[in-house]
Order: sequence, then C-alpha cells, then structure tokens
Amino acid sequence: MPECDNPLWPCAMTGAASCLAGFEGLTVVIHGSSGCYYYPTTLLHAPLEGTFILEQEVIFGAEDRLREVVARLSDSGKRIAVITTCVPAILGEDIRAMLEEHEVLLVDSPGFSGDIEAGYSRALSMLAPTVDPTTPGVNIDGVCLFDPFHAGNLLEAQRLCARASVPVGTVFSKDRLGHAYHAAPYTIGTNGDFASGIGEPVGGILGFKQIRATFTRIDEVIEGAGSGPVLEELDMQEERVIQACDKFLHRYDPPTAGIFAGCSYARFAADTLERYLDAEICCIGSRNVTDDAPVQMTVTPGLSDVRNLIQTHQPDLVIGSSFERSVSGNAAFVGIIPPLRGKVRLYPAPLAGINGILSFIEQVLNACIDKNI
Amino acid sequence: MPSNPLHANSSRLGGCTLTGALSVTSHVRDTSTIIHGPKGCAHHNASLLHAIWLENDRAAMPSLISTALGESDVIFGGEDALRVAIRHAADTGISAIFVLSTCIADTIGDDTGAVCAEKYGIPVIPVPTAGFLGGTFQDGVNNALIALAGIPEPRPGKGGINLIGEMNLEYEVRENAAEVARLLSLLGLNVNLHFVHDITFGQIGCLGRARLNILRSPALVPVGEFLRDRFGTPYIPSFPHGLSGTLTFLKTVAGECGIDGSAAVASEMACQDAMTAAFSGLQHFPIVLDRSHAGEDDMQAATELAARLGLPVRGEGQGLCLPVGTAIGTGGTRRMLHRWRRALHA
Repeated sequence: MPECDNPLWPCAMTGAASCLAGFEGLTVVIHGSSGCYYYPTTLLHAPLEGTFILEQEVIFGAEDRLREVVARLSDSGKRIAVITTCVPAILGEDIRAMLEEHEVLLVDSPGFSGDIEAGYSRALSMLAPTVDPTTPGVNIDGVCLFDPFHAGNLLEAQRLCARASVPVGTVFSKDRLGHAYHAAPYTIGTNGDFASGIGEPVGGILGFKQIRATFTRIDEVIEGAGSGPVLEELDMQEERVIQACDKFLHRYDPPTAGIFAGCSYARFAADTLERYLDAEICCIGSRNVTDDAPVQMTVTPGLSDVRNLIQTHQPDLVIGSSFERSVSGNAAFVGIIPPLRGKVRLYPAPLAGINGILSFIEQVLNACIDKNI
Repeated sequence: MPSNPLHANSSRLGGCTLTGALSVTSHVRDTSTIIHGPKGCAHHNASLLHAIWLENDRAAMPSLISTALGESDVIFGGEDALRVAIRHAADTGISAIFVLSTCIADTIGDDTGAVCAEKYGIPVIPVPTAGFLGGTFQDGVNNALIALAGIPEPRPGKGGINLIGEMNLEYEVRENAAEVARLLSLLGLNVNLHFVHDITFGQIGCLGRARLNILRSPALVPVGEFLRDRFGTPYIPSFPHGLSGTLTFLKTVAGECGIDGSAAVASEMACQDAMTAAFSGLQHFPIVLDRSHAGEDDMQAATELAARLGLPVRGEGQGLCLPVGTAIGTGGTRRMLHRWRRALHA
C-alpha cells in the first residue's frame, strides 16, 4: 500500500528544526504556515520563529513577508537559518536570491522530501561544521532535541568523559554555534540515528559493550585520557544489572519482546534484553532504514504495521512509543522513543551511558514484574 | 498560541484548517479520515490527537490515513494516490470516509472533490480544507461540521438539545459538556446529540431532531446558521460562562423551548451563593487576572467572580496573578475558584 495509516514519524522539516534549534547563536525561522510552525515548536520546546504565511502570499509571492521577518531578526546579532516547508518549496521562488543581503543559512527541507533523519542530516550538512585539529577531547553527537532522552544522554556522556579526563569538544546538536566550526577530531555517539559525520567516530555509548569498546579506544587515541574510572564503574554496574536480572529469572520466565524504535535504539534494546534477560526478541519494527539493520528488523512507518507485528508475534513486553502502547493490550510497556504521552516526565533520564542502561533495565524489570510476566 | 513577536497580523496565528477539521472527523468512531498530503501532516496531527485523547483517558488512536505524497506526486499529481487510499479504506468495514486535503494537495492542483465523487461503496465525504490555504483552525472546524451536517435528511422532531462544536482539543471538553447537560437537566431537557464528540456515523442521522442547538462558541455561528436553514432548528451562540452568564443561559434556553425556567434559575442561584460563600476566605487579596489563556467570555466571568468575592483587581505586577480558565457554567467557575485558591498556596 502506498498510503500510510497514522504515520508514526515526523517529517524532514521537523528534522531540520530539531538540528538547528539546538545551536545557541542561531535563530531558526520556519518559512511556512502557522500549522507547520506549531508542531516543531511544541515538540522541541525550543524557540523558533515563523513567517506564518497566508494564502495571498502563496498566490502573489511570499518574498516580502520573508524579507520582513528576516530583516527584523537580523538586528539580534545571531545568524539566521530559514527552513522551507512544503508549499514555499514548490512555489519556485528563488529564496536564496531574496535573502542574499543577509547571511542566511537556507535549508530546503520540505515535509514531502523525507523523514526526520533526512531533515536533520540535511540541516547539519548545510551548517557545514568543521574539525579544528587543535581542539582537545571528543565531540558528542546524536544529541537531537526530538529525542526525549537527549538531555539525559548528554549529561551522561559529559559525566563519563569527565571521569575519563577527556574534554568535551562540540555537542551535535546542542551547543554554541561557533563551536560547530571548532569541533574536536574525534566523536562519540549517543544515538546513531542522528550521527553527525563530524570527526573520526570512536564509538557509541549505548550499552555496556559499546561503552567498554569506546572508552578503551579513547585511551588509545586521546592523549591524557584515563578511562580506568569509567571501566571500573562499568564493571560494578554491569554486575548489579546481572544480579537484578538473575533474581528476576529466578521467579519469572524471560519476556518475549517486541521492539519499536529508530534503528540505533532498537538495536540497543534488543542486545540488552537478550544479553541480560535472555529475552526472546520476537519482532523489531524500525522507524527508519539503515544499511546495517539486522535481518529481523522490519520498517514500520504506520500504526497498522505496528499493530500487525504485535498481533502476529504477541509480545508480552513492548518497547516503543505511546503509539505502540495504544495497540499493545495488556503487554508490559517501556517507552524509549517519542511520543511518550500520558506520563509525566521531568527528570532528564538517559538511555545512553551507564546510567542509561541502569534506567532501561530498571524500567523493564519493573514493568514486567507489574504485569507478572 | 506562541508569544512570537513577529506577528503583524493575528490571522497568521489561526492555525491549520486540517487540524480543525480533524478535531471533528476523528470523533466519528466508525469512520476513517484520509489526509491527502505528505506523511508529515498526518503524523503531526495523529501525534496531537493521540496526546489529547490520552489526556482525556482515551487510549485509542484516531483512524487517520495519509496518502503519503512524495516528490514524484508533487511533480506528477497525487489523485491516483488518493483514489487508491480511498479504495483500500473502503474495504476495511468502516461506515464512511472523510477526505481532507492539505495545502500541498491544493497547491499542486489535485481535484480532491472529483476523486471523492467516484463510487466506492460507502459514503466518501470531502471536507474543504487546504491547510492554511483553506483558512484557519476554526474554519476547518466549521467546514467539517457543515460537511457532516449536510449528510442527514431533515427530520421533524422536537426532542432534546444538540451540543454543537464541542472543542475536542480542550482538556476539559467532557466536563464542559457535562456541565451544560446538568444545566439542561434542571429544565427537564436532555442532550440529543454531541455534534461532534465521540459519536458513530449513524448517530449523525438524528441531528435534525433537536428542538434547539447550543453552540460551543460564537465562532460557530456559521454552523448554527447552516443548521437553522437546513433543519429549522434555532440556536444559542455559546455555552454559558460565569455566574450571571449561567443564569442568563437557563432563562434563554427555557424561553427558546417555551418552558418555565424560574425554578431552575432559583435553584442554580442558590447553588452559586453557597459556592461563593465557601470561597469567602479569598477576600481582599489584590489580584491580577492572567488573560494569556483566556477568551473574552472567560475574562468577563473572572472579573464578575472577583467582584462577587470582593477581590480587588489590579494591573500587572500589582497583585497575585490568578489563572483565568474556561469557566463554563457554575461547575467551571468552581474549578477556577479552586485554581485561584491553589495559587494562594503555591
């Protein structure tokens, strides 16, 4: 079916906004209607501007309106980024020429051009960050405002780097704009779906195995790094996870898990559940497509795709978003991707890093025990 | 609404026609709504409706289908994609399909109405929406209600009362309707149809049987006019706001229905007196009424309430800031009073 019921993932315009809005010193303008503006604004909780174009501006041209908005914002001293939405993108106006008097970053990322990852990646490439070989330490990437765990992941990555005596370079994408042009030569990742491609990747921090490999590698490439404290903490916390999971398995059968997430988080959840809980991963529905996706991963763009997988495999533990929870019946549920509705979330919980794994396992065990799985 | 300083023209803040129409059509249970546009438009709205529904203790998801227009459809047209989507949806056992276009579908010139007019075996109802090209959020609501009101044939009847255009994205939508139903019950009247809140497609057939339509807000007057022209049903332009507004409402409904409402008014007045007496401890605090989330009706209700309680209203920064919420009926006013008392504590 070419059509899609209840599409589960945001569009490329939202992706571009979720990248650029994370940079201090950059004013992000959504060039489109108020309807297109409201969604990223409410989702990202970031200050966005809009042109709020009207019908007559579509008919007679939106040039004056765009100029008006950009001219007003140009006094702020910040660089301006303009993201085009669907209608302005097909009007054929030469927006770049319109704005050539201002130093505007133009990101053509209409919703029909793809999903959130495409827009995020496009915006980052237009921003064109650069590596500065003299910048010490490692960059942290995968920090995307759209990800409900981005703040927790960043804090956790910074904590681990501090424990390893490694300075943090640039955070993609939550940093001062100027730092984007002085990135460190190496990068660690918190969420591979929003990788920056800036600097040489030294690994991710999703899962104990990744963290161990990454910090071992950091010791090799970063002068002055000492990952001993991180590895010691990792060993101790992994032992706690093993004990908690072992205790669970004394009393309960391992869960049969259905996992729905972006490829990176889905892989983390599957590896963690298999390794520590001997869980059976009965299905993995991915929001996005990657070249190195595991064979059992199915792309699930719409709710009916999710519903079909759940009905076919009958998992007793579902990992995903509140979309998945709405079709999971009585299965235990743990949320790892947006939207996570119907639940108050105030604390910046991580999914990455040592504390991310502890938090994830804690939620899984509690959800399974609550459901008597 | 965002507090963005750039808006020279408040109509720019009117929101998306599509979202307005969806807030109506998604509440017809045994139907699907097709959004003819890119997937992102449907996702934004699915996510919004999902959040609102969960807040209203409704764990289900709306039945939205996107035609998922991509770059090639933008170039070559999306009518075939729409036709295919309607055919697939028509085979799923639902009672009807609503088709909502988007700004992108209208910009590329797709003839949504013509595709909907083809035979599919079940009613396929196009709702004039085109994102911001079709107007504002409220235009979307009105267009959807009028499109649905065009479905049933006029049927004579002097039954209950219709509630028209409940704000389905409102957090307290059910409480507001329940309060109006309570007030109607004081007059011995009942609700005929929630048009449209959580109903079946078949229930729309009894739309014309009501003796009176009560609109949620004056913005729905075009819908009230349409219903009066089609079914001959008179309307009241708004749910009641505040204390005196509630008493006036009772009198107006009684008058429209040709019944004696004096006992109901007296009973409600006594109820209001008892309620305000219970909050008399709030007296004499200088207050500021926070109008950031309030309409004019709610502000009037709050101002009246403050005067009734002897609360001096001051300018910004000169008193305790009190929230002004939706004060529908006496019940809504009581909830606002509790929020005021809460504001004194934290």
